[in-house]
Amino acid sequence: MTSEIAGVAIQAALQVALVLFLSPLITGFSRTLKARLQTRLGAGVLQPYRDLHKLLRKGMVIPDTASWMFTATPFVLFATTLLAGLLIPTISAQAPLSLFGGVLAVVYLLALGRFFLALGGLDTGSSFGGLGSSREMTISAIAEPALMLAVFTVAIGAGSTNLSTMAQAGLGQSWRFLAPSQMLAFAALFIVLIAETGRIPVDNPATHLELTMIHEAMILEYSGPYLALIEWSAAMKQLVLMTLLVNVFFPFGLSAGWWQAATLVSLLLFSGKLLLLAAAVVLVETTNAKLRIFRVPELLAVAFVLSAMALVSTFLF
Amino acid sequence: MLFWQDPQFGEKLITMLAALVLVLQILMVAQRWLITNIRAFGVQSFLLAAIAATIAYFNHAPHVYVVAALTLIFKAILLPLALERLVAKIEIRQEIEPLVNVPISVIFSGLLALLAYVVAESFHRPDEAGLGHNTLAVAIALFLIGFFMMVNRRKALTQVLALLCLENGLFLAAISLTYGMPLIIEAGIFFDVLVATLLLAILIYRIRETFDSMDVSRLSRLKG
Repeated sequence: MTSEIAGVAIQAALQVALVLFLSPLITGFSRTLKARLQTRLGAGVLQPYRDLHKLLRKGMVIPDTASWMFTATPFVLFATTLLAGLLIPTISAQAPLSLFGGVLAVVYLLALGRFFLALGGLDTGSSFGGLGSSREMTISAIAEPALMLAVFTVAIGAGSTNLSTMAQAGLGQSWRFLAPSQMLAFAALFIVLIAETGRIPVDNPATHLELTMIHEAMILEYSGPYLALIEWSAAMKQLVLMTLLVNVFFPFGLSAGWWQAATLVSLLLFSGKLLLLAAAVVLVETTNAKLRIFRVPELLAVAFVLSAMALVSTFLF
Repeated sequence: MLFWQDPQFGEKLITMLAALVLVLQILMVAQRWLITNIRAFGVQSFLLAAIAATIAYFNHAPHVYVVAALTLIFKAILLPLALERLVAKIEIRQEIEPLVNVPISVIFSGLLALLAYVVAESFHRPDEAGLGHNTLAVAIALFLIGFFMMVNRRKALTQVLALLCLENGLFLAAISLTYGMPLIIEAGIFFDVLVATLLLAILIYRIRETFDSMDVSRLSRLKG
């Protein structure tokens, strides 16, 4: 019994390290690839680590109008995102904390973080913060039904909303990802991924200057270590959502436990799948222009219809 | 048995391609640019050619390869090129203006696809080995959404595009139910569509010359 608890603790520690230190790399890779596609040189894949290191050492400016909410937000956001990262299977089909919740817990932990981030944006009373918060909540309110329907489609196939069970069910059936319901759900989730991580057709991650910004508008008042926490959480959220996509739909290469020789291989495969997905997102980003804010619901309506059809085709066939 | 000889893998591949075709159709309803729409139609036709080739490969029906090649040449390359040239010639690059706004159109298309699934279900005979009922559902969905696109759009060119999508649906239904019709019928349909599109292109050009617009609702006005 004690050895089991110790095992879970070690797995959790390993996964914390993985989520914490892999997430800035994915962000850095996306930025560098995007720069290369635009024939720029880019700052290198390690730049997000340098940014975080720099921000963590800096002093902070906290607005006079800010309440305790402003201070609490970065910590709540960081904690909820990291906890969500512990609930998803990364290199092993068995997520460390999968006993404590499945995919619904992941979705709503992320939603809790987003709720606090929106409050933090509103808290200082600056008009930009409120604007960003209202946009973020509008978009997430439309993205969430699409996300839930797509997730339920996969959950019905696996007979459980527990992510570890879902990944293992996927491991059992070869070519399952070719099924139309899976494909439609994947297409829907891909659109949701772009909306939730604030990528170009929906939001531009590389600007502080546009009136159309969403994420950047909310965190405009943050600086120093708090900003570092928020940026880091954004990178982790991206990693969590991407892992959800690659490991639920393409679970091959996941090792059954943590203590096998195959673990290293599955770590490599996992990183490879993540990098491929990140490359796909970057490709979408470089080939599309940003949508007008009122056109974003149209894109998300497509995601919603796709996931609804995915759900229907699971039941009918 | 290796997976590329396994007929079950073939069926899954076909079903997946059909689902992609449906995704493209919904994207065509959702986005507003004429050129993108034409290119999406090209990609859709390319996927149909891929479906035909897969059917030919897994069912050992060599004449279906010819159908696949014809689809690839006519519908995936020649027709999109002709339509793009037409767009360049009449100098319109504006957005498509649908009558019903986009989110509602998309949700409506989703409902039509749902209806198609329900209709296709009644044709499903589990005891008979036949090509995916799923493919038939997608074909009926293409057909219905094509009709919807045709009534939902004002410009003559976009209506032609909707007609072509509708024809894609027919093609998918024919090939998924019968493993390919006799070659002579397929060839007839191809030339029919090609000639129809070219004629319609000329017609669109004339409408544009006469009315200074492609909006078909203006055709009912008197002009002296």
